[in-house]
Amino acid sequence: MKTRPMLTLDDCRRISAAAEAEAKRNNWNVCIAILDDGGHLLHLARMDGASPANARIAVEKGRTAAESRRSSAVWEERIKAGRNSMLGMPGITPVQGGLPVIVEGICVGGVGVSGVQSHEDEQIAAAGIKVLG
Amino acid sequence: MKAQLRVAVACVSACLALAAGAQQPSPLDAVPEKMPNDIPYGTPISLERAQAAIAAAVGESKRRDWKLNVAVVDSGGRLVAFARMDGAQLGSIAISEHKARAAAMYRRETKAFETGVQAGNHYLLTLDDVIASRGGIPILDGGRLIGAIGCSGATGSQDEVVCRAGADAVKR
Repeated sequence: MKTRPMLTLDDCRRISAAAEAEAKRNNWNVCIAILDDGGHLLHLARMDGASPANARIAVEKGRTAAESRRSSAVWEERIKAGRNSMLGMPGITPVQGGLPVIVEGICVGGVGVSGVQSHEDEQIAAAGIKVLG
Repeated sequence: MKAQLRVAVACVSACLALAAGAQQPSPLDAVPEKMPNDIPYGTPISLERAQAAIAAAVGESKRRDWKLNVAVVDSGGRLVAFARMDGAQLGSIAISEHKARAAAMYRRETKAFETGVQAGNHYLLTLDDVIASRGGIPILDGGRLIGAIGCSGATGSQDEVVCRAGADAVKR
């Protein structure tokens, strides 16, 4: 039987705190969502000033990354390159700002951020995931 | 055939008339002078306070070795903070948020819906976005509703204990 690592609530709190710190450093108000490898919500924090839409979008970006095992930016790039049919992919939000969490070569979940420019959202997500080492 | 149908219609009409005649006056017909749950909405809860509520709820749940999902929404019923404890059931992720949202949108504990339905007021289930299960509690500040907390994953009664610990930790 195979075993695989999984995110704990404690891991999520560390990821979220690091992401929030990165956002605060830049004076950004965002929502940070963390999901498991099945795309189920584990942790969410919407900073003061971030909108309800940010909460929904952060979850969907994170879900895209978690379920497809790749950054949501990859999907955006494909569409930008002309693969318009990718817009119809079920459950995919093709907007930068969602990153998969890869541990020991296995995707254990995803982090989605929404609130500022997409590349800045991704920068925040990356800063969060970095705490796992 | 036609005659039979007429007889059947007559029978049904008679039965309905009898049922109507036997009906008691409905307690729902009463018109109280004041409206219930007349709580003004306040400034949306801050993330810091939402996380304090979640920390208190998770702490209470841990002490009892329960594994729950805890959601906090703002005064608009929208998600501000969420935490899934290790081992909490997946089906309850959405339920915890639903309970919190219903508590904010209806300015009352979700237990009120549960109690109502148990008492036979099934019409409550036709109201928009209701969840008739305890474990959703409004968070007040100076008499104003600033958000709500919802817990799910165990029995309704266990959810409520944890939920109360979270709500009590941040109310003012």
